[in-house]
Amino acid sequence: MFYQPTDMAEALRLRAELGPEVVTVCGGTDVVVAMNHGVARPEAFLDLSRVAGRDSVERVNGIYLLGGGVTFAQMAKLPVRALAEAARSVGGPQIRNVGTIAGNLGTASPAGDGSVALLALDAEVELSHVERGSRWVRLEEFFLDYKRTALQPDELITRVRFPSDFESVWYKIGKRGAVNISIVCCAIGRSPAGAYRIALGSVGPVPMRAMEAEAVLNGDSTDAAHRAVAYLADEVIERAAEAAELEAAPIDDQRSSARYREAMCRVLVRRLLRELRDG
Amino acid sequence: MSGRAFGTQTPAAPPREKEHVLPTEAPITPSPFAEKVRGPVGRSCDKIDGVERVTGTKLYGADLIAREADLHAKVVRSEHAHAEVVSIDTKEALRVDGVLAVLTAEDVKGTNRHGLIRRDHPVLAKDRVRYRGDAVAIVVAKTEQAAAAGRDAVKVEYRVLPTVESIEQAMAPGAPHLQPGGNVMGGRRIRKGDADSALADSHVVVSETFRTQTVDHAFLDVEAGVARWDGELLTIRVSGQWVHEEARLVALALGLPVERVRIIQPAAGGAFGGREDISIQIYVGLAALRFAGKTVALRYDRAESMRARHKRHPMRIEYAMGADREGRLTAAKVAIYSDEGAYASTGIAVCRKMSSHATGPYRVPHVRVDVFGVHTNNNPTGAMRGFGATQIAIAYEGMMDRLAAKLGVDRVEFRRANLIRPGDAVTTGQVVPSPTAVECLEAVLRQYGSKSMPSEPLPTHLRRGWGVSVICFGMGYGDGFPDASRARVRIGADGCVEVYSGIVDVGQGAENVIAQVAAEEMGVGLEHTRVITADTHMTPESGSCSATRSTFFAGNAVRLAAGELKEKLLDAAGELLCVHPNELEFRGEEIRGRFDEGLCCSLGELVAAARKRGYELEAEALFKPRTICEDFETGQSPRAFITYMFGAHVSQVLVDVETGEVRVERHVACHDVGRAINPEAVRGQITGGVVQGIGMALMEEVVYRGGRILNPGFTDYILPTVRDVPPVECVVLESNDPLGPYGAKGVGEPPLIGAVPAVLSAIYDATGKAPATLPCNPERVWGMLTGS
Repeated sequence: MFYQPTDMAEALRLRAELGPEVVTVCGGTDVVVAMNHGVARPEAFLDLSRVAGRDSVERVNGIYLLGGGVTFAQMAKLPVRALAEAARSVGGPQIRNVGTIAGNLGTASPAGDGSVALLALDAEVELSHVERGSRWVRLEEFFLDYKRTALQPDELITRVRFPSDFESVWYKIGKRGAVNISIVCCAIGRSPAGAYRIALGSVGPVPMRAMEAEAVLNGDSTDAAHRAVAYLADEVIERAAEAAELEAAPIDDQRSSARYREAMCRVLVRRLLRELRDG
Repeated sequence: MSGRAFGTQTPAAPPREKEHVLPTEAPITPSPFAEKVRGPVGRSCDKIDGVERVTGTKLYGADLIAREADLHAKVVRSEHAHAEVVSIDTKEALRVDGVLAVLTAEDVKGTNRHGLIRRDHPVLAKDRVRYRGDAVAIVVAKTEQAAAAGRDAVKVEYRVLPTVESIEQAMAPGAPHLQPGGNVMGGRRIRKGDADSALADSHVVVSETFRTQTVDHAFLDVEAGVARWDGELLTIRVSGQWVHEEARLVALALGLPVERVRIIQPAAGGAFGGREDISIQIYVGLAALRFAGKTVALRYDRAESMRARHKRHPMRIEYAMGADREGRLTAAKVAIYSDEGAYASTGIAVCRKMSSHATGPYRVPHVRVDVFGVHTNNNPTGAMRGFGATQIAIAYEGMMDRLAAKLGVDRVEFRRANLIRPGDAVTTGQVVPSPTAVECLEAVLRQYGSKSMPSEPLPTHLRRGWGVSVICFGMGYGDGFPDASRARVRIGADGCVEVYSGIVDVGQGAENVIAQVAAEEMGVGLEHTRVITADTHMTPESGSCSATRSTFFAGNAVRLAAGELKEKLLDAAGELLCVHPNELEFRGEEIRGRFDEGLCCSLGELVAAARKRGYELEAEALFKPRTICEDFETGQSPRAFITYMFGAHVSQVLVDVETGEVRVERHVACHDVGRAINPEAVRGQITGGVVQGIGMALMEEVVYRGGRILNPGFTDYILPTVRDVPPVECVVLESNDPLGPYGAKGVGEPPLIGAVPAVLSAIYDATGKAPATLPCNPERVWGMLTGS
C-alpha cells in the first residue's frame, strides 16, 4: 500500500490514522537499502515526496527554516559551510538528489553527516501532529539512543530551523573520496557571540556534542562579552581537543577501532578550531 | 593545495589537478609496427558488442532469468564456519507454498565434488561444513520468493566444531584438521645457490614480514543463470571463465557423460578470476535435472556472492634480502604462508606462481623460497587477477625500497642496477626471451618526469611523495601444465569469415582480439568477421580465460587456423578457375589472378562451389607450446613460462599524517604488451588494473570474525570510486614477442600487480615509513605513523 498525500495537512492526518507498521518515506535512501538487505519488509508506506512545500528553504529574521523534504543536493548549495560540506559528502549524486534532511534525522544514525552538522549549528526539529500541533525539539533532546528519537509514531518531522549567522566548519574521515561512510566526523559552529558548539559523529550511539570540549572554550557563560573577542590560543585548542578525545565514546566495529576514533576526535577538533580561528 | 585535501571532497571543489589529465591518445612507444599497420590489428576498434551491451540488448545471466525462468532455486548455506551436519529436516520447507523440492547430497548422483585442481569441494555438504558459505541443500520453487522462503525453512542440525580462523591457528599444535592430510595442504620451493651463506656474507640485509589482505573480485554482474534438462542434454547458461572445464566438472559432480552437458556463456560483467571456480553451474544443473523440460534459474545477491565465492589469498610473507657493497643483490630468503581457506581451489598453482615470481624482475644469485598453503575455515581462496604474483610483488618491491634506503642509494638507481637484462635469468633459472623491465622503467619515469612533482608548500599535516615499482609476469599456465587453444575458422554462406573459439569474453574484449586477428590474417574487414565463442557444443576447446593467456593462446590458434584456411581457399579457387593456386592471390574479399586480372571469384562464390562438390571451407588449428615443469626440489626450469611480461609504475600520493588518509594524485603505468592488437582496449585493461590495484593498496579488505564475513556488501567492502583514482597515464610498450600473434603477449593481470607496490612505495617516500600490512586505510597508516 502506498499513501501519497499532496499536502501536509493530509499527510499529518494519515500519519495519525495509520499504524506504526506504515513506514514514512520520502527519498527512500535508508528504507530501500534496508528492504534490499532483507532487514525490513514494510507492508505499506506513507510517501511524502509529493507533499507541496516539503522542500522549501526560507531565511527569516536570522533563522533558516528548511522543510523536512529538503534534499542533500539542496543543502549542498546553502551558504552554511558545515551543512553544505556535510551534504556534499553524502552518497553519490543520485542519493543526494532524493535523500532528505528529515530522513537523515529520523534514521538517527550516529554516522548521519547532516545530523552532525545541524547539531553544531544549534538546530531544532519540528515534530507535528494533526491534532496536538507542532513542537520544536532541540537536536540534543531529539536523539535519544542508537537509532531512537523523540519522534512519536503519529508525528512527522516537518521542518528544521537553525540560526543563519553561525560560522561553521566540518570534516569527515572515511575510507575513500566519495560515497563514503564516516569513521569519524566533526562539525564545529561558532555563534556571533563567540560560543562554540562541537558535534561528533560515529563516536557514540547518537550524534553527540562534545560538552567538555565546549566548556574549555566557552568557559563561564557570564563571560560572553569577553569570549567573543578572545583569541583561541594553541594551548586552549589543545585542551579542548583533548577533552573531546576523552568524552567520545566510540566502539570497535568493522569500520574502525575505538582507539582510532578517539584519537581522531582530538585531531579533528584541533584542526577545525584552528581553521575557524585562522579563517 | 589547501588543508582540506581529504574528507570533504566535493563536486564544488574537484580535488584533481587538471594538468595531469591524460591525453586520450597516450604515447605508444616505441612501436616497431608503425609502418606496417594495414589491417585491423593495431587499430583501436569499438567493442564488437559494445552497442548491445550499453543499450541493454546483450543478455547477461540475470536477463536470461527474467526472460526464460520457469522455476527458481536457492541455496541453503552453512550457518557455521566449521561443524558436523547432524541432520537436515526439509519437511517445513516443503510445506512452503510454491516449493517443489529440496535437494540434498543424497540427490547428487555423481561424485558430488568439484575443484579446479583437487576435487575436494562438496557440491552439497553431507556430513561436514568447512566455511560459512558451504552449500547444504538446494530449494526449488515456482517463484524466487517461495524458493527463498523455503531456503529459510530448511532446518539443519549442526554439531559445532572449533573454528580455525587464521594461518597461525591452523599451524598451531593440536589444531583441528580441516582436510584429511592436515592443514598444510602443500606448497612449492626454490633452492638456487646457497641463500643462507650469501645472506651471512652480504654487506646489508633487510628483513620484513608483509601481510596482505583477503580481497573480493567484486565484479558487477553477480552470479546468475539458467539450466534446462531435456532428457538428453543439460544446457547451462552461466558466466564462467572456461566453458569446457565447467562442463567436465558439472558432468563429474552430477554423474553425467560430459557430452551431455552443454555450457553456453552469456554476456559477463567482469570476472577477474572470480568465475574460475565453479559457482552456480552445478547447483542450477542439479535442480534442472530434477525438473525435465523446465528452465530453472538461480541467482545470488551481492551478499551471497561474497559469502559463497572464493577470494584472493591473504598471505604472510617473511622476506630477507641482501646486497653487497656495490649495491648488487646477493640473496633472497622467503617464507610464504598462504591462507587457502576451506578448500584447495587453485591454491597449489597460486603457491607455485608465488615461488616462481619470488624475486620478480631482479637478478638474485642465491634464492631460497618456501611456500605453504594452509587451510582455515575462511572462504576458499583461489584465482584473482595476478594469481599470487600480486602479493609477492608487494614483498619484493617493498624490499627494493628498504634495501636502497639502508644502502643509502637512490631507489631507482638501485633497481636499474639489478633488473634483469638480456641473458639474465629469473628466480626459476629461466633466461627470459626479451626482458624489457629496464625499458618499462625508463618509459614510466619519462612520462612521470615530464610533469615533475608539484613543489608548492603543504600544510604541516600533509606530505607528498612518489613511488616506483617494476614487475614481471610469466604468461600462461606454465610449469609443464598442458596449455592449449584450438580455433576453427570457416567461410559462412554469406562469405563472412566465421571464427569459432572456446575462449570466454568476460567483458575485457577477447572477442575483439580474435576477430581482429582473423580479419587481419584473412585480409578482410572486421565487419566481414563473425565471432562465435564459449559454447561447448559449438566451439573447439580453447582453455581458460585466465593467466593473461587469451590474446596469446586463442589469438594464435585463430591465426594458425586462418592461415590454413587461406591455403585451402586458394586451392579451391585454383580448381574453380582452372589455374595453379600459385597464380592466385587475395584481394580484400576476392581472389584474383596475379597476372590475369580477369580471373576472379568472391569468397561467397567459392563457398557455394565448394559445397556443391561436397566439402566445407574451414580449418581448425591447435596452438600448444610446451613449458617445462619446475623441479620440485629446486623450483628450477629452463622454460617455466612461454614468455614474460614486464611493467613499471610510478604513483604519487598525498598523505595526511594526522589522520592517515592517503590520496593518489597521479599514477603512471607502462606495460610491455608485445603488441597492442586493440590499443584502446589495452589502455582500458591498464586503467582497470590500476583502479583495482589502488583499491587493494588502500581500502579493499574482506573482514572475518570467527569465519563470518563482517562486510559482505559494498556498504562496507570499500571499492575505489572515480574520486579515488586520478586519470591513469598509460604508456604502452611494444616489444614484438616472437611467438605471440602479431607479436602480442597480453595485458590482463600485470597492471594490477604493478599498481599496488607503487602506491606503497609512494607512501614510504611521503612519510618515511614503509608499509608492510595491507590495506593502507586511514587507521592503519595512522597506526604505522604514530606507532599505535
